[in-house]
Amino acid sequence: MSKARVEAQNIGARYGRNIVLRAIDLVIEPGEFFALLGPSGSGKSTLLRLVAGFIQPDGGRLLIGGVDVAGVPPWRRDVGMVFQNYALWPHMTVWQNVAFGLEERRLAKAVVERQVREALRLVNLAEFAERRPSQLSGGQQQRVALARTIAVEPKVLLLDEPLSNLDAKLRVRMREELRALQRKLGTTTIFVTHDQEEAMTTSDRIAVMDQGVIQQVGSALQIFDEPANRFVANFVGSVNVLPAGSALAQELSLSPNGGDIVLRPHTIAIAQAPGGAERKWIAGTVAEREFLGPFIRYRLRIGEAELVVEVAHRIGADGYRPGEAVYAGVDPQQARLLNSSAGGAP
Amino acid sequence: MRGYTPGQLAAGALILAFLLAFLVAPVATVVYVAFTEPAGGFTLSHFGAFLDIALMRESFWNSLYVAAASVLFATLLAVPLAYFTARFRFRGALVIQTLGVLPLIMPPFVGAVAMQLIFGRSGSLNLLLDDWLGVRLPLMDGLNGVIFVESLHYFPFILMNLVVAMGNIDASMEESAQNLGASGWRLFRRVVFPLAMPGYVAGASLVFVKVFDDLGTPLVLNVTNMLAPQAYLRITSIGIEDPIGYVISVLMIAFSLFALWMSALALKGRDYATLQRAGGALGLRELKPWQAAAVYAWIAMVLLLVLSPHIGILLLSVGTVWSFSVVPDAFTLQHYATVFQDSPRMIWNTIAYCGLAALIDVVLATAIAYLVLRTRLPLRGSLDLIASAALAIPGVVLAIGYLRMFHGVTLPLGGELLTASWLLIVIAYSIRRLPYALRSCVAALHQVHVSLEEAAESLGATKTRALRRIVVPLMMGGILAGFVTSFMTAAVELSATIMLTSSQSVAPMSYGIYLYMQSAAGRGPGAALGVLAVAIVAMGTYFSHRAMRSRAIDLDRQL
Repeated sequence: MSKARVEAQNIGARYGRNIVLRAIDLVIEPGEFFALLGPSGSGKSTLLRLVAGFIQPDGGRLLIGGVDVAGVPPWRRDVGMVFQNYALWPHMTVWQNVAFGLEERRLAKAVVERQVREALRLVNLAEFAERRPSQLSGGQQQRVALARTIAVEPKVLLLDEPLSNLDAKLRVRMREELRALQRKLGTTTIFVTHDQEEAMTTSDRIAVMDQGVIQQVGSALQIFDEPANRFVANFVGSVNVLPAGSALAQELSLSPNGGDIVLRPHTIAIAQAPGGAERKWIAGTVAEREFLGPFIRYRLRIGEAELVVEVAHRIGADGYRPGEAVYAGVDPQQARLLNSSAGGAP
Repeated sequence: MRGYTPGQLAAGALILAFLLAFLVAPVATVVYVAFTEPAGGFTLSHFGAFLDIALMRESFWNSLYVAAASVLFATLLAVPLAYFTARFRFRGALVIQTLGVLPLIMPPFVGAVAMQLIFGRSGSLNLLLDDWLGVRLPLMDGLNGVIFVESLHYFPFILMNLVVAMGNIDASMEESAQNLGASGWRLFRRVVFPLAMPGYVAGASLVFVKVFDDLGTPLVLNVTNMLAPQAYLRITSIGIEDPIGYVISVLMIAFSLFALWMSALALKGRDYATLQRAGGALGLRELKPWQAAAVYAWIAMVLLLVLSPHIGILLLSVGTVWSFSVVPDAFTLQHYATVFQDSPRMIWNTIAYCGLAALIDVVLATAIAYLVLRTRLPLRGSLDLIASAALAIPGVVLAIGYLRMFHGVTLPLGGELLTASWLLIVIAYSIRRLPYALRSCVAALHQVHVSLEEAAESLGATKTRALRRIVVPLMMGGILAGFVTSFMTAAVELSATIMLTSSQSVAPMSYGIYLYMQSAAGRGPGAALGVLAVAIVAMGTYFSHRAMRSRAIDLDRQL
């Protein structure tokens, strides 16, 4: 199966006067599973539709497999897209849906038959070929949409929030299947999602987007541990951002060059009295507490500032009550500095 | 990005040319003539002349009065029925739905003669009343007859719109009002009624326009002191040059536009149907015994009224002589034999004309719907607007425009006059019924999510292939429904037909019925032809409902 590199060079896009993408520069390597992660309105779906050819860029170049695709209509791009609502044709059977793209390529009947059977086998739907889409469950419809797209062996596979219409349990299973299938096929895959967990579990690399701008590109680990700016830090996981120069930041004296400090709540310890010297201990009071099952989230009041701390929960350990005086222990090794001037949302 | 292909541009240009030639230009011609002196130059003198004629002033007020009174009586018939269905749990819902369709399958002018025989001065009802009580009701005298026939025929427009509007009111609307302390009459007045109002106004304005424009009913009832009959009489008896006919036409267009504008104004910003729906429709209540009695009595009375023209026309078609008696003297099938002997041509003409017109309609409507919803073609909005505007153009006016504009034009082959050929009848039908087909196709295309088309494109299908393999098959239910609606409403069209039919050989059934009904001896065969027309239309209605239902089921499954 073919693998293609996708390259965006200084791409912009707009709907009327509304600018939705600004100066997008991105290289997606052949065979990579790449996620576009961002809130709604961040431009991630627009970027996907640009690659599919449903909209044209306002400027810049888009290369698929090294070829500039400006002016190439969707039906000649050889880019397969799985839609958020699956877009299965209700008047065709599962078999007819999957065969469609092959028929449009004027392939011999025997070839069509072989490839449809293979695609349905890959998604474990061989025995559902004669059903109508309406007779399938959500997860099965999702697989038909996938089979329909991979049957034509596209150079690039585009997934537009493909799991958002499934219930939570099924979503986890489908994302594992999706990942396994992509490994098997090796097709370059671009996956649009607003769910950080989905992006982190499936993808080789992630581009975090906001307001039409790519905020950071990197592996899940890089994005979580070394966020480039406040937006990325806030969007991926929960976080304490201590503004440079704030009382708390000064007390911790972690910011020699005056950048904001990022502290993940689960790296902070909490105790009745100051503990070991590997942490810096600060006195505060418990303002609120939320029990979430695996952990307890405390909101501590420290002077004027607030600090969120997450502590793993164990049976029998009841934790602290609101109003109680406690100490928060910050591990300097776990703190990260943001470049105060880095782009992105405030 | 251009947002359209050369093929789409060509299709749009062709449709625009067709609409300009056969809708815009003829209507513009009519308006132009009404405001132009014989020697040329703008003038209002024709309107002055119109106002100087007492008969014209009378006709004007009569038309307004009849249209308004018909809306009033149609409202009185429809509102209780709509309220019953939306409010109570009872077994009459199916009857009410039938009530909504029954009158529409028979053109009012066909029923009019039968109504005369049943409710007229010496009709069945008055003969019985005179015998028992010594009174007679002037139900069918002069304008009363027109109002009676029209309101009975057109009340379903209000009923259907109201039922839909009330059906769309979410139960949570009512429940939150109850939760905040409203109940009973106040609840109805402050919440239910305002929410249903746009539906009512839409239905009522449609009734107004239909009645104001109707030519057949007054003609058959021999009422000529109204605008539509006067326009017809001026043009056919005095001639195509008579300016008064054009003045009347302009007035009719103005009132149609006014009514539709009022309706649009009432509906503006009140598209309540699109509000998010949380729960089901309004809660249905059980009927108390006395309520049940009242409800069923009302339904029975309306059903009887609605069925009377159908029964009447059936009796008339199989009766020998029916005059000054409650029912015909004896029964025969002779009239049907006469019809099949004399006018099989007319039956064939109706099927051919209406089939062709409906075909033109669905092709145009599908294309317009696609261009409007799926492309960025310049002027695409005006295509929709112009095609829909045909709704505001009375048949008489369109026909007058054709006769004037194509006066003396001959066809390329054989040299036949265009105004004498069947071609103009077909075109008039297709133009007049295009709005129905268009709404149906637009609604159908709205149901087809864009991603279904995009999926096909990304799998290698060109725009044309995606249209053929995905969009049109998915729209088929709506296209079919549009075809049937166009076909059956064209089959009972009389206003344009009567003016554009130049000879017996090109006449469709509607013209034949009208012709037969002119003489007492022709009533039997006329009624027989009417029954046949009703049969054709009824079959159409049945198939259209089936088509729409199967489509609804398909879409339910899809979602």
